[in-house]
Amino acid sequence: MRTTALSREDRLLLFGLPAVVLVVLAGWCLWRASADLGDIEARALAWDAVGQLALEHVLIVLVCAVLVVGCAVPLGILLTRARAGFLAPAVTAAANAGQAAPVIGVIVLLALAVGFGFWTAVLALTVYAFLPVLANTVAGLRGVDPAVIEAARGMGMSPFQVLRRVELPMALPVIMTGVRTALVLLVGAGAFATFIDAGGLGTLIQTGIIMFRHSILVSGALLVALLALLVEWTGRVMELFATPKGLA
Amino acid sequence: MIAFIDSRWADILFRAYQHTSLVVQSMILAAVIAVGLAVLVTTIRRLTPVANAVSAVGLTIPSFALLGLLLPVVGIGTVPSVVVVTFYAALPILRNAVVGLQGVDSTIIESARGQGMSGSAVFWRVRLPLSWPVIMTGIRVSAQMSMGVAAIAAYALGPGLGSYIYTGLTQVGGANAVNYAVVGTVGIIVLALLLDALLVLLSRFTTSRGIRA
Amino acid sequence: MTQQTTTGAALELVDVTKSYPGQKSPAVDGLSLSVPAGETVMFVGPSGCGKTTSLKMINRLIEPTSGRLLLDGEDITTKDPTTLRRSIGYVIQGGGLMPHMTVAENVGLVPKLLNWDRGRIASRVDELLDLVGLDPRIYRDRHPRELSGGQQQRVGVARGLAADPPVILMDEPFGAVDPITRQRLQDELMSIQDELQKTIVCVTHDIDEAIKLGDRILILDEGARIAQYDTPERILAAPSEDFVADFIGSGSTLKQLSLLRVGDLELTEPQTCRIGEDVAEVTARVEAAGESSVVILDERDRPREWLFLRTLGRHAVVSEPTTELQTVVDHRSTLSDALDSMLVSSHGGAMVIERDAYIGVITYDAVTEHIRSLRVEAA
Ligand SMILES: Nc1ncnc2c1ncn2[C@@H]1O[C@H](COP(=O)(O)OP(=O)(O)O)[C@@H](O)[C@H]1O
Ligand SMILES: [Mg+2]
Repeated sequence: MRTTALSREDRLLLFGLPAVVLVVLAGWCLWRASADLGDIEARALAWDAVGQLALEHVLIVLVCAVLVVGCAVPLGILLTRARAGFLAPAVTAAANAGQAAPVIGVIVLLALAVGFGFWTAVLALTVYAFLPVLANTVAGLRGVDPAVIEAARGMGMSPFQVLRRVELPMALPVIMTGVRTALVLLVGAGAFATFIDAGGLGTLIQTGIIMFRHSILVSGALLVALLALLVEWTGRVMELFATPKGLA
Repeated sequence: MIAFIDSRWADILFRAYQHTSLVVQSMILAAVIAVGLAVLVTTIRRLTPVANAVSAVGLTIPSFALLGLLLPVVGIGTVPSVVVVTFYAALPILRNAVVGLQGVDSTIIESARGQGMSGSAVFWRVRLPLSWPVIMTGIRVSAQMSMGVAAIAAYALGPGLGSYIYTGLTQVGGANAVNYAVVGTVGIIVLALLLDALLVLLSRFTTSRGIRA
Repeated sequence: MTQQTTTGAALELVDVTKSYPGQKSPAVDGLSLSVPAGETVMFVGPSGCGKTTSLKMINRLIEPTSGRLLLDGEDITTKDPTTLRRSIGYVIQGGGLMPHMTVAENVGLVPKLLNWDRGRIASRVDELLDLVGLDPRIYRDRHPRELSGGQQQRVGVARGLAADPPVILMDEPFGAVDPITRQRLQDELMSIQDELQKTIVCVTHDIDEAIKLGDRILILDEGARIAQYDTPERILAAPSEDFVADFIGSGSTLKQLSLLRVGDLELTEPQTCRIGEDVAEVTARVEAAGESSVVILDERDRPREWLFLRTLGRHAVVSEPTTELQTVVDHRSTLSDALDSMLVSSHGGAMVIERDAYIGVITYDAVTEHIRSLRVEAA
């Protein structure tokens, strides 16, 4: 990856993001180590407690991400095959309605329907983050130049080979953008997992508000935000590597 | 469910009104700020990538986290709702306004100046109308998002239908928990779709026939 | 042609220089030039020689680094540029129309900036659309994308004329249209200019266009150095330096055909007839005159067809022709344009019109005879 080919915006994000995250995180750690905390704060913000919550948060995000990519990408591929074209309008309509659904409502409704806990949170967040990946998979595959596909067919590639060797590599950058968007959404929505007893860094925010302790509240909010930025940055780096040479 | 809606009809309508009013007012504020910023950063070219980076990063920050960061500063109630909704509403509009304003053909602008249009006339009568469809697309994205953000912000006792969802959550096991959550969620979906339809119409009527797709 | 009162203003450039930041030599280096009121001056020169830069300094879209500009003796270098531009028409390649405004709004742009009242703007718009050959009833409410390239360019010209500015600047106005449309637009511009007598400064890279349209031609070299500034006739007859001779290219006798108008030559007048006349009578009349073909006119004296008698003989009365005419030229067309039309004619000539009405026929023989006389003069 030659950094000279990057736009100024890309460079700002690629180098600026991790710098900001590191500085703020270091600042928070310093404050945590040196501040004179009350009893409640000290317990809530104990190093291993915070570590545990962060781990839970990352775990939810990762499990959901795997599920989302594993379902949305194949569905997107299916929808772009000529024979399944008749499904597309129905899926678009469902997608538009889904986009308008507030995430907190989806989580609460699912929890009321199937009970609280980790897997409910996973289910709700997977549903929520499904759309951007599906939409980008379809858009990416539709965006591949038909002439290139025809050329590949003309060379004697089977439909599967065309998909694997031509369509997917060319659509990958767009799909990756969808995955990055989904990951970031998942980090944010993961903060609500605490509402249905599924843990995560949102617990700090909730505790802070309930106990009226600003230091806990702000610590939670800050850590969630930092995690989101870090994920965004990782996504951007992956996107860069996913772009086939000669396409950027 | 029907009995529930029936008994709370006035309250539901009131909260739907509050929700819409919060979103619409915040969006108007956001649109003014975003378009203003877009004009600034497209005039001073060096700032354009900064603005794009800021709007990308801004959208990354989870709304619940931003709400958490704001509460110690502004307290609970309507204010954090307005701030959070306006913040997220502004970002897609900013992004699209920058793209739209940059996309206006420079020969058209020069042609307008060549006819003797002043700087402000060029903005109001050429650049803004020509980038309007792109800005309106940003406003639609923003409207969808704001509806959901307003629901989340209700956690800090903000106005709107979001409070029904949280009520459903706290009354779990109670008779009306599901009713509250369903009315809150579906109500917001309906409002979002209605607002979107309105914006599509608005976009149609405010876009010149000469540049309509 | 009747000489009308000049509505143009004299324009003078005094030692005008433009240096772009970060470039070693100025794009325009001390250009001094005076353009008499009511004349058309064509700027020609190789790409990048500073034509556009010079032009845009006149309406201050580009601010000169140094030098002065005078309009009718008044220094405009310090005038408010926005106000200044409202009194200078500006026409660019492709028209530069506002895509979100209707044709009428585009043409009425400057009058509106000048706060004319609505009725006056509307009637002015219609008048101008008529002038550039667009029916206001059809085109007034269209948007630019509903027009062809040539029509957009016509609207661009109308917009430049809208507020009746004394000076009009044009930057390769006909560069984006096909050759046939270009020729037609050039002819129209010439007849508009005959009537209005504006001061026109027009940039082109096409020396033939410059010869055809210009009262004077300014030939520029790198840095807007003046290689020659003179009438087309003198530039063709006596190029001041090799650069100019190279630029004009070979065949300067043929180029002189671009200087002559069809109306300058003697036209022949073959027999004519009207639609609906008895064919036998017409045939008798034409044969009596010792000719074999006849020009058919309609009730408004417009030429409709030029037929050999044998083609006519199949009917009892002269019938309405159905074919599209190709061999008609305006009396203001240049000889070189007329030759193009005559080449497709089986009569070896073209019908000539003045304000749509038939006035005679120009023949290939008359043109070659004229070229021969030019040669004799030159030798
Ligand atoms: N905005 C500008 N900034 C820097 N250099 C310019 C600019 N516009 C034109 N130039 C340079 O000035 C010279 C003259 O340009 P121009 O007047 O456009 O030439 P022409 O119209 O004769 O083709 C060229 O060398 C061109 O590169
Ligand atoms: Mg030029």
